[in-house]
Amino acid sequence: MKWSNIRLILQRELRDQFRDRRTLFMIAVLPILLYPLMGMAYLQIAQFMQEHPVRVWLIGVDSLPSSPALVTDGHIDPSLFSNSNSVSLVELSLKQPELAEGEDIASVARDALAANEFDAVVYFPTGMKDRMQIQSDETVSDESPRNPEVFFLGAKDRSRAAYDRINQILERWRTLLVKQTLTDREIPATIATPFRIQIRDVSEDASLNAAIWSKILPFILIVWALTGAFYPAIDICAGEKERGTLETLLSSPAERNEIVWGKLLTVMVFSVATSLLNLFSLVLTGTVIISHLGFLQSNGTFTVGPPPLHTMGWLVLALLPLAAMFSALALAFATLARSSKEGQYYLLPLLLVTMPLATLPIMPATEINLGTSLIPVTGVMLLLRCLIEGDYLTALKFAGPVIAVTLTCCWAATRWAVKQFNEESVLFRENERFDVVVWVRHLFRDRGDTPSLAEALMCGVLLVLLKFFAQLAAVTPTSWRDVVVSTSILQIALIAGPALLMTIMLTGSVRKTLLLRMPRFSTLIAAVLLAFFLHPLALSLSEFIQRLYPISPDTIEQLAAFSDMINNAPLSQKIALMALLPAVCEELAFRGFILSGLRHIGSKGMAIFVCSLFFAVLHSILQQSLAAFFLGLVIGYLAIHTGSILPCIVFHAIHNSLQLIAANFLQQVSAGAAALEASAFETVVYSRIEPLVVESSVMPGMYVYRIPVLVVSIIAAGILLYWFRSLPYARTPEEELQDALVHQSENVR
Amino acid sequence: MLHVRHLTKTYSDLMRGPITALSDLTLDVVEGQIYGLLGPNGAGKTTALRILATVLQPTGGTASINGFDVVTQPSLVRRQLGFVSTNTAVYDRMTAWEMVEYFGRLHGLDGELLSDRINRIFQRLQMNEIRDTLGGKMSTGMKQKVSIARALIHDPPVLIFDEATVGLDVLVARSLLAIISELRDQGKCIIYSTHIMSEVERLCDRIAIIHRGHVLSEGTLEELQERHQELDFEELFFQLISQNEDQRLAQ
Repeated sequence: MKWSNIRLILQRELRDQFRDRRTLFMIAVLPILLYPLMGMAYLQIAQFMQEHPVRVWLIGVDSLPSSPALVTDGHIDPSLFSNSNSVSLVELSLKQPELAEGEDIASVARDALAANEFDAVVYFPTGMKDRMQIQSDETVSDESPRNPEVFFLGAKDRSRAAYDRINQILERWRTLLVKQTLTDREIPATIATPFRIQIRDVSEDASLNAAIWSKILPFILIVWALTGAFYPAIDICAGEKERGTLETLLSSPAERNEIVWGKLLTVMVFSVATSLLNLFSLVLTGTVIISHLGFLQSNGTFTVGPPPLHTMGWLVLALLPLAAMFSALALAFATLARSSKEGQYYLLPLLLVTMPLATLPIMPATEINLGTSLIPVTGVMLLLRCLIEGDYLTALKFAGPVIAVTLTCCWAATRWAVKQFNEESVLFRENERFDVVVWVRHLFRDRGDTPSLAEALMCGVLLVLLKFFAQLAAVTPTSWRDVVVSTSILQIALIAGPALLMTIMLTGSVRKTLLLRMPRFSTLIAAVLLAFFLHPLALSLSEFIQRLYPISPDTIEQLAAFSDMINNAPLSQKIALMALLPAVCEELAFRGFILSGLRHIGSKGMAIFVCSLFFAVLHSILQQSLAAFFLGLVIGYLAIHTGSILPCIVFHAIHNSLQLIAANFLQQVSAGAAALEASAFETVVYSRIEPLVVESSVMPGMYVYRIPVLVVSIIAAGILLYWFRSLPYARTPEEELQDALVHQSENVR
Repeated sequence: MLHVRHLTKTYSDLMRGPITALSDLTLDVVEGQIYGLLGPNGAGKTTALRILATVLQPTGGTASINGFDVVTQPSLVRRQLGFVSTNTAVYDRMTAWEMVEYFGRLHGLDGELLSDRINRIFQRLQMNEIRDTLGGKMSTGMKQKVSIARALIHDPPVLIFDEATVGLDVLVARSLLAIISELRDQGKCIIYSTHIMSEVERLCDRIAIIHRGHVLSEGTLEELQERHQELDFEELFFQLISQNEDQRLAQ
């Protein structure tokens, strides 16, 4: 890849986009105008809502006491409004109702409201004055018909607004009445209000500010980063296909990678620019509008200033990886599309997938933890919120997973875009009639020796889904027998089963797909040794993961019954069920079917990585998944370099067995040697292990190997891994081509 | 200069299974030669030329241009090559000058060398009046000139023209053919695909007649006439195609 070519393509694409009026409108003009216009409209509406007078018909005002007055000079008494300017907001009519034969006040009021003569009708029954007089002397049932009635139409906004206002007015009036009665009887008026609630929000203005902005801004950032990426992406990929210039570019000396990177950077520039313009425009408008609304509000406590400068800094920092990810995704989708029109169709699904990820962090009580930090987009937004709110310690703790996940997504999306660009069937796609039967027949008829990339990915997704739903459906085991049954079903029927079925149906060679080949004997020995040498590292790793991201107490409680059952089972059975069985079943599925298919990517590293991701997701506890990911990397490496499934099974089985033995050892230490009925063999093993291990200083109850043991074993494992690398291994045609392409210029010199 | 051996391309089609677009194409083109690929629409000419231009990958056989393999050394092949096809359009929002300059830069040309070359090519192709015209506003003839200028900017030893005269009026087509024979005289190795007999007769030193992905006959014009006992080239072409169709039906 040459940077000069990428820059050339980038410059050309940028210039091209700037010559396109539609793009400029979307990217620059729209955001600059959108928020001020929206703000203006909102303020106008708010103003309208505030100042629109409502028409209220008061019936029977004559029967009310004259002091405190409800009505003076045909208007509501100004003292009953919080703001004396609001008097004009209630237009009164005091006319007498004309009651026809058999009509009552309720029907008159209903008719008047239905005819839109008034927005609310208040009826004071005759004798209210008397009632209040009596009430102050004796106790009268509150059920008496001499209470005022308010009629309004709940279905009409304006009528509801009238009800709200008149209700407030009547409540104030009632308070005044109570006060006056008390004063008349020489009782302190304060008795009616024994206490007042003082509301004090002690968060500083700045953090309140941050809290509000930290929810809005990341959301805007993401929506516009995606939208801003999508339109240019469609234009420079699908549009270029449509206009026929893509083939011109493909036949130029620029390499596909360079073309993709040039285009990707272009899309990114627009994604970032759109997002930033929207952000600044929103912040400017928002600050003005919110402060104005705060002014309008009566209590005057609600004022929000512009977001602090460091907020914007963090936003821009987070924007870069997000924009890169969205740009790559948009580019890959746009490459897939035959025409701009088809490209537009892909925007909606992409938004539908991204929006929940972007809205999840806005929901109350969503906080950053290991789980949420591993969700793409969501993790970034939550991390961003921590940073904006100044909670740097938490942010630092979860920055690792968030950055790792985001970079992985970026990388995968970019790889996908490059792959799309290398795919003839995508670049020169023609309309084809789709028929499910024909397609299935095609899968079967045109199958290769090993599964295709799509089939491998499909299998991975299928296994993860099966596992997930099986867990939902499964009943909690109550005995070791239950554990045996459920684990066996899971491993045999839901992991190995589907993979084997797919192998038989979708591939031409079961042997090649599942790597059923006798390896050199030495590799088996090496796999056994590797499992032993990596064991100390595996223990330290899980201790490290536990320390960083402790398992939540809820999960521990849920697992407690389960682990009791396991702990009390005989070690040999445990090893058979939890080491041997998974080793065989999982290896056939993951390093067999899935990895064989993934190798069509053309890069063994990428294949191992993706395979390990699936392997990690299959484990239900997050902390386990992290460890499983690294385990997957090692086993995938073994699978490719030995070309056989056997070393993988051997390594996996021994690795799991050692973990089980270690757990047993822990149990023995914590329970005291006598409490556990260890076999003679186990006792010997434990006595050998004991001097090598030490209790973790930070995680009580966990044991790790002493540092010298750890270092020596890591070095030994490294040597073994290097030895595996030196073995001759079979490369796929895709890998050979990729190699040749990378080295094409070297051959000439 | 350009060697093609048993080049084959099959597509997998959902409905019909694998389809052979090109089967066992073998040809050699040397410097100063125009090699004509003649065939009806859908014969596999474009597929063959796209493979040579490294836009597509063959499913079998090999092809090398100036010693570089089209599959394993595509970037090097593209440096040896100027590719003009009906599918290689010009950018709508770029002027003629910008377009040619852009591709020159992609070929690593720069500064005075580049502007000298562009000037010379614009002079030769009489393109100076459309220098600052945007691609979207050009006529088909102007666009084709820009495409040729774009393909010549790095002075490649091998040139591929795929149906280059489609949509051009007689005047422009004639001057294009004149340019191509001039390029041959400069020693370029040229592959020229078309379905127009007269162009082949006028221009090509060697001819391959392709139908349904197969080469039916190959040689100089005289060799073909002699081999098939037919002096009228159009008649010869028609006979070959219909014979082939009959054989297919018989099978």
